[in-house]
Amino acid sequence: MKVLAIARTNLSRFLRDKANIFFVFVLPLGIVFLIGAQFGGETSNRVGVATQEDEPIGVAIIAALESDDRVQVSVFGDEDGLLRAVERNTVSAGVSIPAGAAVRLAAGESVDVGFLSRPDGFGPQLRAIVDQAVAAATSESAAARFAIEQGADPAAAFSTAAEIVGSAEAIMVKISTTGDALFEGINGPFDIGASSQLVLFMFLTGLAGSAAIIQSRQLGVTRRMMSTPTGPAAIVAGEALGRFLVVLAQGLYIVAATTLLFGVSWGDPLAATSIVLVFSAVGAGAALLFGTLFKNDQQAGSVGVIAGLGLAAIGGSMLPIELFSDTMRQIARFTPHAWANEAFAELFRRNGTIADIGTQLGVLSIFAAVLLGLAAWRMRKVITAQ
Amino acid sequence: MTERAVLEATELNKRYGDLHAVRGVSFHIDAGETYGLLGPNGAGKTTTIAMVGGLLENDGGQVLIEGEPMTVHTLDPRRKIGLVPQDLAIYPDLTARENLTFFARLYELGGRRLKDRVENVLEVIGLRDRADDRAGEFSGGMKRRLNIGIGLLHEPRLLILDEPTVGVDPQSRNAILESVEALSADGMAVLYTTHYMEEAERLANRVGIIDQGEIKAEGTRRQLVQMVGERDRISITANGPLESVVSDLRALSGVQDVGASDGQITLLVEDASALLALALETVAKNGASVSSVVVEEPDLEAAFLHLTGKALRD
Ligand SMILES: Nc1ncnc2c1ncn2[C@@H]1O[C@H](COP(=O)(O)OP(=O)(O)O)[C@@H](O)[C@H]1O
Ligand SMILES: [Mg+2]
Repeated sequence: MKVLAIARTNLSRFLRDKANIFFVFVLPLGIVFLIGAQFGGETSNRVGVATQEDEPIGVAIIAALESDDRVQVSVFGDEDGLLRAVERNTVSAGVSIPAGAAVRLAAGESVDVGFLSRPDGFGPQLRAIVDQAVAAATSESAAARFAIEQGADPAAAFSTAAEIVGSAEAIMVKISTTGDALFEGINGPFDIGASSQLVLFMFLTGLAGSAAIIQSRQLGVTRRMMSTPTGPAAIVAGEALGRFLVVLAQGLYIVAATTLLFGVSWGDPLAATSIVLVFSAVGAGAALLFGTLFKNDQQAGSVGVIAGLGLAAIGGSMLPIELFSDTMRQIARFTPHAWANEAFAELFRRNGTIADIGTQLGVLSIFAAVLLGLAAWRMRKVITAQ
Repeated sequence: MTERAVLEATELNKRYGDLHAVRGVSFHIDAGETYGLLGPNGAGKTTTIAMVGGLLENDGGQVLIEGEPMTVHTLDPRRKIGLVPQDLAIYPDLTARENLTFFARLYELGGRRLKDRVENVLEVIGLRDRADDRAGEFSGGMKRRLNIGIGLLHEPRLLILDEPTVGVDPQSRNAILESVEALSADGMAVLYTTHYMEEAERLANRVGIIDQGEIKAEGTRRQLVQMVGERDRISITANGPLESVVSDLRALSGVQDVGASDGQITLLVEDASALLALALETVAKNGASVSSVVVEEPDLEAAFLHLTGKALRD
C-alpha cells in the first residue's frame, strides 16, 4: 500500500515534467522515424556506378540509368568507393565496370559487369533496371551515338558500334551482394531502428530518472518518509517500483506507437512484452543504483546520459552488433542492451517465440536482480545514514 | 510528571567524531503540555529531536513514547509522533493537497478518513484556497505551514516542531503560533525548539535552556527567571568597538553577566541605579556611541544570559 503510494507519487511527478514527456515519448519516436527514413527513404532508388571517366561503356551505362526516372545515379571512381557506399546504404545498388571494357568487347573478349547490392532494402529490385541499362548501353545506336558525342568520326563510330553489338552477348552481369546478411528477414525499414532505440531509450530513461531519487533526498522528503511508520524496505521498493513503471510505460508506448505509426511488427506479442518487462526491471535497477552513487541530481543526470549512450553503443543499439569485431562482440555481452537486442532480433528476423529467447530473458533477469539487489542495499544505507 | 508522559527522554547522547553534540539530555512532556527547547544555533536542538523521532542512532540514552521505546528500528511509536523538520520537506512540484495525501498514505490513512483529514489540515494551516496549487509557487510562510500540516495529518499524540518560524513573515509566524496554541489546548503534547525567546515565553509551559549540547536549566518561565535572582537588566544599544566595551564592563564590580549581540549589550547587575552611570561612562570611554538604554526586570533572556554567559541571538 505504502509502496504503491510512493511509486504513484514518483510516476505522477515524472509525468508532470514536460521535458520528461519530450525525452521519453516524443524523441524516441522521432529517432525511430529518422532511422527508418535513412534505411528506407531517399537512398532506396540511388544506384552507384564505378567506372573510369573515359570508359565508353561506363559512360553509356550512366547515360542509360540517368534517362530512367526510376533511379538516381552516383558515380564512383573505383570499386572500393562503390562497395563502401553500398555497405553504408548511401546507394542501394551499384554497377561496377572494369577498365577497358569497350576495348575488350571490341576485341571479342567477354567482360564482367559487377552488380552489387545488399540483401535487404531495395537493391534487389534495382537489378532489373540496371540490366536494362546495360543492355541499352551496349546496343548499337547507343554505342554509336555515344562515340559520336565523344568526338569520334560518325562512320568509324557506327562500325565500332556494330562490332560491339555483335559481341553484346559477351557482356556478363555478374551479381554479388555485399555486407553480411545484416538484416535478414526484416519486414520494413523502421523495424531495425525501433527495437534498438527502444532498448537505448528505456535504459536512458532509467538512468536519467535517478535524478528524481536524488531530488527526493535533497528535498528532505526521503528522510521525512523515515519519520513516518514506513520502513526503509518499503521506501526502497516504492522508489524502485516507480522507476520500473516509468520505464515500462515508455517501453510499451514505443512498441504501441511504432506499430501503429510505422507498421513495425514486433513479432510474438508475449515474447516482446516479456523482453520489455524484464528490461524495465533492468532500467529500474540501474536508476536506483545510480541514485545512490551521486549526491547531486545534475551530476547524476549528465553522467547518466553519457553512461546510457555509451552502453547503448557498446551493446549494439547504435550500430548493429553484426558489424562489430569479435572482441567488441565479446565486450557487448556485458551490457544488458546486447542481450535485449539479440532477443528482439530473434523475434524479428527468425520469427522467434518466447521459447527461443529463454537464454536472453534469463541473462536479463540476472542483470535486473543484481542491479536491484545492489541498489537496494546501497539505498538502504544512504537513507538510514546521517 | 503524570503516570505516563507522552515523551520521556533520558540521558540522550550524541557524538559526531570529536564533537559531543548532545550531552546527557533528559526531559519529559505530558499530554497537553508544550515544552520549549530554547538555545542558540548549534546548541544541539535538531540532533536531540532526530534521536527523539527515531531518525538518528543515539550514543546512549533512551526515548519512550507513551512508554514504548523508540529507536531507529522501531516503526510503531512513529504513529504517535508528527515530526516537522526544520528544513522544508515537501515536493514543490506537487500541489498542497497532493503533498498531504501522499504523506497521509505513509501515515496509514485511507478512504474517507484520509480525505477528511487532508481537508481538515488544509483548514488548520489556512491553505484551503490554495490546495490545488503547486507548493513550489507558495510564499515562504505558506510552504512552512504546509510543512507543518504534514505532521498533523494522523493526529499525533506528540507534535515535534523544529524552529518552525525561521525565515517566516510576521503574519505567517503568528498563524503558526496560534495553531500550536490551539493544538495544545486540544491535548496534544508539543516539543517546540526555537532560538526566539518570545516564542518560548509565549508558547511553552516549560522551557529547557540548551547550550553546547547540555540542558542548563529547565522549568516554567517563572522558575527560570527566579534563578537569575534579585537583579536588574540593563540593555544598551550602541555603535562602536563592542568587544572591548564588553570586556571592560565585565571587569566592573556589581556586574554579574554581560552579553552582546547585534549592537545590543545586555548586563545583569545587582543594582541598576548604582551602576548605570559607570556603565555608560565605560561605553563612551571605549569610543562607542550609545543610542538607547533600557532598564528592566529580569526575563527569559536574562535567565539565558545568566545560565550560559551569552546573549541569545535573535
Ligand atoms: N551530521 C553531522 N555531522 C557532524 N556534526 C554535526 C552533524 N549534525 C550536527 N552537527 C553538529 O552538532 C552540533 C549541534 O547541531 P544541531 O543539533 O543542528 O544544533 P541546533 O539544531 O541547535 O542548531 C553543531 O555543532 C553541529 O555543527
Ligand atoms: Mg537546528
